[in-house]
Amino acid sequence: MSDRFAGTFFDGISGHAHAVELRRVGLSHYALEGEGIQRGGKLVDLSITPRLARVARTIEFADGARLLLADDPAIDAWFAQRGRLEATVDRLERHAHAIAAAAIVCVATLVAGAQWGLPWLADRIAEQIPPAAERSLGDQVLGSLDRLGLGASTLDADRRNVLAARFAKLAKLAQGAPGGADYRVEFRNAPGIGANAFALPGGTVVVTDQLVNLLGDDREFDAVVAHEIGHQQHRHAIRQTLRTSFVAIVAAFFAGDVSSASAVVVAIPTFLLDNHYSRAFEEEADSYAFDLLARHDESPHWFAEAMRLLESQHPDRRRGREPAYLSSHPATFDRIDEAEAAARAFAAAHPDLCPAGVCPGEGDSDEETECEDCDDDDASPGSNDSQSLSCDKSTDI
Amino acid sequence: MEEAITVAPEAPPPLPPALPPTIGPTRTEYPFEFGGNAREYFRIWVVNLALSIVTLGIYSAWAKVRTERYFYGNTTLAGVPFEYLAKPWPILKGRIIAVILFGSYVLAGQFSIKLQLAAAGAIALLTPWLIVRGAAFRARYSSWRGLTFRFVPDYAEAYVRYLLLGIPMVLSLGLMYPFVKAKQKAFFVEHHRYGGRWFTFRATPGQFYPPYLIAGAVIVAWMFVVSILAGVIAAMFIGPTHAAPPAWFIYAFVVPVYGGYFAIWAFLAAALANIVYNNADLGQHRFRSTLKGHRLLWIYVGNTLAILVSVGFLIPWAKVRLARYRAESLRVLAAGDLADFRTESKDDVGAAAAEMDGLFDIDIGL
Repeated sequence: MSDRFAGTFFDGISGHAHAVELRRVGLSHYALEGEGIQRGGKLVDLSITPRLARVARTIEFADGARLLLADDPAIDAWFAQRGRLEATVDRLERHAHAIAAAAIVCVATLVAGAQWGLPWLADRIAEQIPPAAERSLGDQVLGSLDRLGLGASTLDADRRNVLAARFAKLAKLAQGAPGGADYRVEFRNAPGIGANAFALPGGTVVVTDQLVNLLGDDREFDAVVAHEIGHQQHRHAIRQTLRTSFVAIVAAFFAGDVSSASAVVVAIPTFLLDNHYSRAFEEEADSYAFDLLARHDESPHWFAEAMRLLESQHPDRRRGREPAYLSSHPATFDRIDEAEAAARAFAAAHPDLCPAGVCPGEGDSDEETECEDCDDDDASPGSNDSQSLSCDKSTDI
Repeated sequence: MEEAITVAPEAPPPLPPALPPTIGPTRTEYPFEFGGNAREYFRIWVVNLALSIVTLGIYSAWAKVRTERYFYGNTTLAGVPFEYLAKPWPILKGRIIAVILFGSYVLAGQFSIKLQLAAAGAIALLTPWLIVRGAAFRARYSSWRGLTFRFVPDYAEAYVRYLLLGIPMVLSLGLMYPFVKAKQKAFFVEHHRYGGRWFTFRATPGQFYPPYLIAGAVIVAWMFVVSILAGVIAAMFIGPTHAAPPAWFIYAFVVPVYGGYFAIWAFLAAALANIVYNNADLGQHRFRSTLKGHRLLWIYVGNTLAILVSVGFLIPWAKVRLARYRAESLRVLAAGDLADFRTESKDDVGAAAAEMDGLFDIDIGL
């Protein structure tokens, strides 16, 4: 063990450096000698900065003088029992296993934060957004969507009125739940997007003409808008937007640049078109839709029918092609299975509506009859999956 | 111009010991050198982070001290390292106060917007005071050659430059922004002391205008170019069908716009830092800063990409890389002996203000 250290001494009064040598005298005393410097005293009167990488150690004298020594762990033997916390940290920093453990703690925290913390915080922020603000955000988004290629609906007015009335019935049934926002439906012609429906922030549901034309039975329309109302009831649009743009918003907040937070408005249309609801949100909206349909005395079977029609538009998305947990959408077939299970439960609960477990309009798809303009809701049987549309875009439903 | 000869607000500084009145002193160049490396700092950084997480943030005060000590201790001038002397406990106390303040601001928002606005107003009113206390704290605990720096508070002037000057700046639609920035930098430089001497600032507000005007002109030109390009590309790919442009197109439009801002900002930051350092004197000693916008941009772009790709694990590498470039771009043009400094009388400065600056992210980087 070394008992001499060469160092650079500053007296704390002038900036002049003195080359010196520090020597231990006995167990508890030191002597410092060098260019014009002659000091000595007790070690307990000195303090030393904790070890840190290769950074020079500094011994501080009571009068403010400082002695800089090159990094050498041997000096710590002179100052036993000092700065034990930082000595421990220093040992961790030099230990490969400790570094690995620290990295694991950081990664685990990052993953947990992204998995639970971020959605939780985003939801707390969503709660703070007043309905009026959400509504105006929704209007801005609709404006953007219109600029991006949604056109005025080409459906005839009677048809739209019939569907809007069906939507209104479901929306009324959905009221009373938290929020109770007044929901409205907008029809748009969107050849570039195809059969689709979106729940915008603030209660507006957009349904494309292409979707209306694709769906045969109006109860399928009910099923699809019930799903979108489910998104509305749970405020999925604003919550998902906040989740996906949360990092940007936090960054904007701390950078004090409020204008970049408005980039969120730009982000929402692309998010809606890109089909990015989380699995959990889709499942939540689905089960809300099954429940709402049942309260409306309609079988969730119609949701399965609508999903089959939409599925027929994406010939490349097949069961088992992608593991369900990798997909942002629950695999469509799983959702159809869920809908059919809900339909069986509905049939069991409504023997009056569904004698022998078969509700009106249900049956083998072979027996389906074509009915393109079914204004007579409950009696209209069958669905139409012979529609052919050139669109092969994915859908948000 | 009036800034160049500001009279010291307090007692005249102790005169440096008999410097010969030279007209063109021969100067010796001393480069700043940064000797840290990413591998070493990664270990400190990752342990700091993990311990801060495990202790729910309490360790962050110790983490801050270790980080500062690492960067100070690896920065040398004329062979002598800098030292960061602050202790963790005052920093922890400061952080607790800052968290309470910030928490009450957030909590105020739960009750009423008015209350939160009042809280925001109070924080705005506190800002100049916080800037002064933060600068004083940092100076007090920054040491070189066994002598600490000092920031001499002048609250009245701080309120003028960091708050009141905001009014004419807004009224002039931002045209006075470079002037206000110049005044703030001058304030910051001229209230620092080291080794018994004042820092002085020779730059005039007029010198701050060209970088800002050039940056503004380039932004306008860039927006113009990008809009035209976007229009042409949209016309080529999407055609007159009025179909929705694909999502990638919107991103493809946003990326060059923000990329352009980023690049202009890097050049502006380099130009401003050069103006500040090249016009700051300490006694007869001068500084020379040779930051290059394109190199700074290269470093920022590389750092950003590395941090994103590595989910944060290359942050230490990025910080070390930036510190190294900053150090190698800065040198002291010494007129006479760099050891020729004397001690200051010491005032103790509470740590709270320094930590509150950190939390509310008031960047006052010199």
